[in-house]
Amino acid sequence: MKKKSPVFQIFAYTFLSLFAIMNIIPIFWMVINSFKSEQEYSADPFSMPTGLHFSNYAEAWRIANMNVYFLNSLLITFVSLIVTVLLGSLAAYFLARFSFKLRGLTYSLFLLGMLVPIHATLIPIFLIMQKLSLIDTYLSLILPYTAFHLSLTVFILEGFMRGFPKDLEESGIMDGAGIFRIFWSIILPITRPAMATVVILNFIYNWNEYLFALVLITSNALKTLPLGLANFVGIETASYTLQMSALTIALIPIIVFYLLLQKQLVTGMTAGAVKG
Amino acid sequence: MQTLKRSRFAIFIGLFPALVIYLGIAIVPIGISLYYSLMNWNGIGSMKFIGLDNYVQMLQDDTFWLSVKNNVIIMVTGLIGQIPIGLLMALLLNRGMKGSGFFRTVGFMPVVISSVMVSLIFGMVYNTEYGLLNNLLGFFGLESWQQNWLSDSKWSMLSISVAYIWQNCGLYMVMFLAALQNIPDEVNEAAELDGATGFKKTRFITIPMLRSTLMVTIVYSISNSFRVFDLIQVLTGGGPAHQTEVMTIYMYNSAFMNLRYGYGSAASILILLFSLIVISIVNRVTREKD
Repeated sequence: MKKKSPVFQIFAYTFLSLFAIMNIIPIFWMVINSFKSEQEYSADPFSMPTGLHFSNYAEAWRIANMNVYFLNSLLITFVSLIVTVLLGSLAAYFLARFSFKLRGLTYSLFLLGMLVPIHATLIPIFLIMQKLSLIDTYLSLILPYTAFHLSLTVFILEGFMRGFPKDLEESGIMDGAGIFRIFWSIILPITRPAMATVVILNFIYNWNEYLFALVLITSNALKTLPLGLANFVGIETASYTLQMSALTIALIPIIVFYLLLQKQLVTGMTAGAVKG
Repeated sequence: MQTLKRSRFAIFIGLFPALVIYLGIAIVPIGISLYYSLMNWNGIGSMKFIGLDNYVQMLQDDTFWLSVKNNVIIMVTGLIGQIPIGLLMALLLNRGMKGSGFFRTVGFMPVVISSVMVSLIFGMVYNTEYGLLNNLLGFFGLESWQQNWLSDSKWSMLSISVAYIWQNCGLYMVMFLAALQNIPDEVNEAAELDGATGFKKTRFITIPMLRSTLMVTIVYSISNSFRVFDLIQVLTGGGPAHQTEVMTIYMYNSAFMNLRYGYGSAASILILLFSLIVISIVNRVTREKD
């Protein structure tokens, strides 16, 4: 490595630090204030809290129905994720390892989904769900989440599976395994690295989704975390510290998730973004 | 050919479930939207075919054009904010400085936070009385700079753009970073042998090598800007007086607040159309240069 000029170093670190501070400050400020009492906060929003008012958290958890929203989000996120990955990997397998007449068309159809804004489909989906009496059910979210994330899932897995050598299946055929057996026992296990990316990506997208939930869910008992939070903050305008506690509670799991799995998440999101 | 027939059946079984859900929920509804957009319909009564009337009416609606203007603001500020900052961050981080792992981690963090959460956090930052921003200005004795960030029409779109840029910069940063790491070492070595170092190398070697990534990020940023909904819906709901409304919110309000499903569908078709047009223009312009 060559030497770098000190001027450049100063410039670089100043810029990087500014960027980092900009990213951290709003969150840091929120977390700090979530520990204050309401009076303490309105007196001085910049001071460090004098004591840790964990009571804010207990109260926010209770008033904001956080347990209900968390459970709903977990359930919907995981069911959609499992269905997406299962159906998506199966589709990716046939698209990657077989040649048939409609292969190209099917593959392009799946990719098309990444170009389409979900807003162009929102109204028909709402009306379809209404007709099927699925409005305000878990299924009304699970179906769209699955459908819209199949594109990216198929895309990433297909690309990965296509790279496998052909002899993989041949050895399976020698042993008398059928197509689905080969898929399940040979292909799926070696697809694991790409699968991890897909799972993480699906998790984040489902966990964060708002628009479908806003339109398709009405009862409080079925609201997901983003919808419930937005609703809570809209109603609970009196206490900022309570709002901040609720937001911090919701923020912690996703930050922990990110810190643990950031490498795969970054790779997945850039792959998705580049092709999206 | 026994096996061929069997595999054909297997292919069908394997693809069918995914295709049904995907086509039924993600693709066919676009066609249905198009169909509804030609109807006058409140969702309950009977549908009445009115041709292109919804579109004609929309193109004459000032609120619609206000929302288009706001989309353009988001698009332009997004492009100006996210791509240069993302690129600069990536160029700096790619030099393998101390702590670059930390900066990358912190830089990407907002990308994984949901738009709703970002919106709620910035709602507090912009709060007129208790918000971080106004308090910070007061702290530095800049009381005259304090504003009603979200309700003053001079500032509201800009405030929203800042939150939008804040949320997405990190994504462009890692996209550029990934591209930078794919530049083969030989290119860098050759450039250095020719005496290109520092800024010169960046300007004449690195940036041109990033051309295709640059195009991808531009197209991505544009198409994303047409999809902004959560952030604004939660932050301002499009108000005050439609001042921060974008096309997606216009569509949402038409269909789900005013129960004009045909009209809302026409808006959704226009969103699709506008984003496809802008993207194809960008594609054409960049291709001609090659």
